[in-house]
Amino acid sequence: MSDSADTEVLEIADLDPEAWQDYAEEQGWSDGLPLVMPTEASVARMVAGARGDNESFPPISPRQVVPTLQSLAANAVMAGARPEYFPSIIAALRGVLNPSYNLHGSMATTHSCAPVVMLNGPIRLALGVNCGTNCFGQGWRANASIGRALQLILRNVGGGVPGVMDRSTQGSPAKYAFCFGENEEESPWAPFHVRRGFDASDSVVTVMSGEAPHNINDHGSTSAEGLMTTFAHTIAQPGANTIYGKGPYLVIVGPEHAATFARDGWGLDKLRDQLWERARVPLKHISAENLATYAATGHHPTGDFLTICRGPEDIHIAMAGGPGKHSAFIPSFGGTAVVSTRVKTPAA
Amino acid sequence: MRIVNPGFGIVPAGAEQATEGKVDWLNDPIVLFGNSKPNARELLEGIKAKLAGIRRTDNIDFIAKNSASQGAPPEMINDAAKKYRIALLALGD
Repeated sequence: MSDSADTEVLEIADLDPEAWQDYAEEQGWSDGLPLVMPTEASVARMVAGARGDNESFPPISPRQVVPTLQSLAANAVMAGARPEYFPSIIAALRGVLNPSYNLHGSMATTHSCAPVVMLNGPIRLALGVNCGTNCFGQGWRANASIGRALQLILRNVGGGVPGVMDRSTQGSPAKYAFCFGENEEESPWAPFHVRRGFDASDSVVTVMSGEAPHNINDHGSTSAEGLMTTFAHTIAQPGANTIYGKGPYLVIVGPEHAATFARDGWGLDKLRDQLWERARVPLKHISAENLATYAATGHHPTGDFLTICRGPEDIHIAMAGGPGKHSAFIPSFGGTAVVSTRVKTPAA
Repeated sequence: MRIVNPGFGIVPAGAEQATEGKVDWLNDPIVLFGNSKPNARELLEGIKAKLAGIRRTDNIDFIAKNSASQGAPPEMINDAAKKYRIALLALGD
């Protein structure tokens, strides 16, 4: 390896807070929001938050450079993260660097995808990650700065600069930050990470390249069957990327909907099977031009429908949110995977 | 004052590049490699039509990876590398 032309520590003029923001913007480091200055001292405190994590990183696409803990920590500082958030940020990064996530494709695409980050296990409570009311929204430093730090890393180290290597046609608010926790305490189901083979005591970060959440509103249905009718038809969209670029999707069920499914005896296997059978797009909703294009690239109808994933195993269900009759569908980029990574908490 | 560069990264050593013989641009076989999007195909068809004015076209073929969002399978790239001397790639959207 050879060092890039950049140096890891920069000598800059003494800047007041306003001048710092202008300087950072001129360097191309900003997502448009103000940034905390990554002084050597603040970065050292952040790096200490990941003490004992000596596993190397592969190059980050699309720029294809290998990060250092310091450069990652600088972005975490700029995002407003606390040092104790850093192991979760690193776990999220390791997840998107897993080849199955397809970071290069998801960064360079015209699609609006962003890294969706979900936390499970004790670290949610330790960091104050919001898993309940407004969990996808504003107001919680952990959610906001963990999601934002990952985005800044992908921009500043990875080179995913909008209009340059990030070619998204319209982008998405999810590209600022999209991080939440599963509401394990109110869920009728085993926690998501336990279902993926981790111990309940593990802290785990799960990532998927996905869109911003699509709301599923159902105040009227009082049965699992009724809810499934709404869920399936909300999810079956002819404009989904996965109608031809088959891949996973997330369904984040709100607690009241989850309670209804559980009360009626619908477990996760039944939910997945029903979504697989019923969340399909009728051919009459798809243009002839698109059908021809899909067929030419090997994406053929199943009966009178096109599926939007490869099978029940592509449907990932978790529970989050607070009171209310809402759930969410998070479509993926398509050529991606749901990747879960255990958080390495600092060595003593 | 001193700050840590948030864009700092280490550039890995580059992969070795093959430099095998000279290319005959008028006669060597060409693969027009698309990403499966309709506009990529249109772009490549236009290139083939232009090439018809300056060289033979009976050994110019189209191939496309079957997913625009994922890299081409290594075996597809290897097969193309064995069969053709020139590859033109289109990433139309």
